[in-house]
Amino acid sequence: MEKTITQRSAWDKVLTKLQKRSLWMLHYCTGCGAVELPPTMTARFDMERFGIMPMVTPRQADILLITGYLSVKTLKRVVLIYEQMQSPKYVVGFGSCTINGGMYWNSYATIKSLDQYIPVEFYLAGCMPRPEAIIEGFTELIDRIGEGKANSWEDYYKNYEFYRKNQEHVFGTIDTRTDIPDDAKYFKIGEVEK
Amino acid sequence: MNSVIGLVVWIVFYPLIAFTVGVFLGGYGRKFTARVQRRVGPSWIQPFFDVIKLMRKRTNISHGYMHDISLMMLVSGTMLSLYFIPVPGFHYFSQFGDFVVIIYLLLIPSLGMALGVGETANPNGSIGISRALQMLFGYEVPFVLTFIGMAMLNGTTSMYELVQIQQSGGIATWGIVTHPLLGIAALFALQGMMNEKPFEVIIAPHEIATGPMTEMGGKYMGMMFIQHLINLFVELTIYANLFLGGAKNWFELLFKLFVLFTLILSVNSVFGRFRTDDAMRFMWKIPLPLAAIGVVGIMLGIG
Repeated sequence: MEKTITQRSAWDKVLTKLQKRSLWMLHYCTGCGAVELPPTMTARFDMERFGIMPMVTPRQADILLITGYLSVKTLKRVVLIYEQMQSPKYVVGFGSCTINGGMYWNSYATIKSLDQYIPVEFYLAGCMPRPEAIIEGFTELIDRIGEGKANSWEDYYKNYEFYRKNQEHVFGTIDTRTDIPDDAKYFKIGEVEK
Repeated sequence: MNSVIGLVVWIVFYPLIAFTVGVFLGGYGRKFTARVQRRVGPSWIQPFFDVIKLMRKRTNISHGYMHDISLMMLVSGTMLSLYFIPVPGFHYFSQFGDFVVIIYLLLIPSLGMALGVGETANPNGSIGISRALQMLFGYEVPFVLTFIGMAMLNGTTSMYELVQIQQSGGIATWGIVTHPLLGIAALFALQGMMNEKPFEVIIAPHEIATGPMTEMGGKYMGMMFIQHLINLFVELTIYANLFLGGAKNWFELLFKLFVLFTLILSVNSVFGRFRTDDAMRFMWKIPLPLAAIGVVGIMLGIG
């Protein structure tokens, strides 16, 4: 039997359709991949026609774009920024450096895979991905938000222990000033022991 | 009895109308800027999508009591000033409050923002607020002077009566035609008031990270967005009422707002950003003397 649509979920569906048209992006440009962003935003490819705008503070951003390799030092900043962002939030790994270390595979100072430290919504493969690939990825993200499937941010609350362990393995204990287990209770996501 | 129902309907729907007009104006502004830069640009109602998105954010980080209250001051100050502005079909409250009241109420959002942002203790926010209050001195003085000129000449401070006087003789009695000096001075002040380039020193995204809004996210930012959109309507309508002869019907009013906003956007899209001291210097060097000369002219009976 088909699931009946309650009033609430129908209303949610409509709002989600409207919501997906506006995404503000915070780009964390450490690597060379940032070169591909200006053409994506300006006249040639024009990201704003999908409602995607660059935004400068983590409080207002929806997307955290990590362009390129992350050294041990910068990972700490990324985690701080990620925890300051307001849910729902989507992390996009940009370029092969975030997937498997890319050409920095042998480096002692960089991390290999971003999704060990924060939940990643999707990766843009390539070294580096062209604007066409970026737009392809973002339209995919927009569709997934519209269908209500882009829920990777909940994973951080469900598996906080796992992420925290990996983070501490890299840079030791830090005070991020964000009480994740308490937030998880607020969102009613999973049961986080701590 | 009928008029009472009409009044209640207006009180309820007037902010909604102002918000809707603001959404379309804001969307038009972004589309216009995009077209100048040879881009396709976002949707015409992009601000509406932004508001929905911000209101549906699940996290809301409050920095304290004042931070929450400030948003109420922000929105209610703008809404109150909205009620005192006469538009076609609704001028009930303009008999209780003249232009002085509107100027007073328009200050409340800035002060509310200052209090709220002060509590978030973000350095970028504090810089933004100090700039906002500084710019207030820049544009408010010429703007109030231009109004003093209009009030002296017409012998009234009521905005509704000003509109009536201007509508009596067609275009020839419009404020901008009878007093071009005051009209031009107020246009400069309006550019600063609406926080468009070259006076966009408060938000300044790549300089101080959106200034006062740095710590605002989710529903807080959504409220600020709504206030911003209503404010677009408020500020443009004040200018249209003072210098463009108000309007007899909504179509005329919207057309005037559209033309006026296009003018402001054209300046906005070809200029860079002044430094705060340069913006202040400009405001006190060009619009202020223009307005002062205009007022002196009216006092001597020349204008």
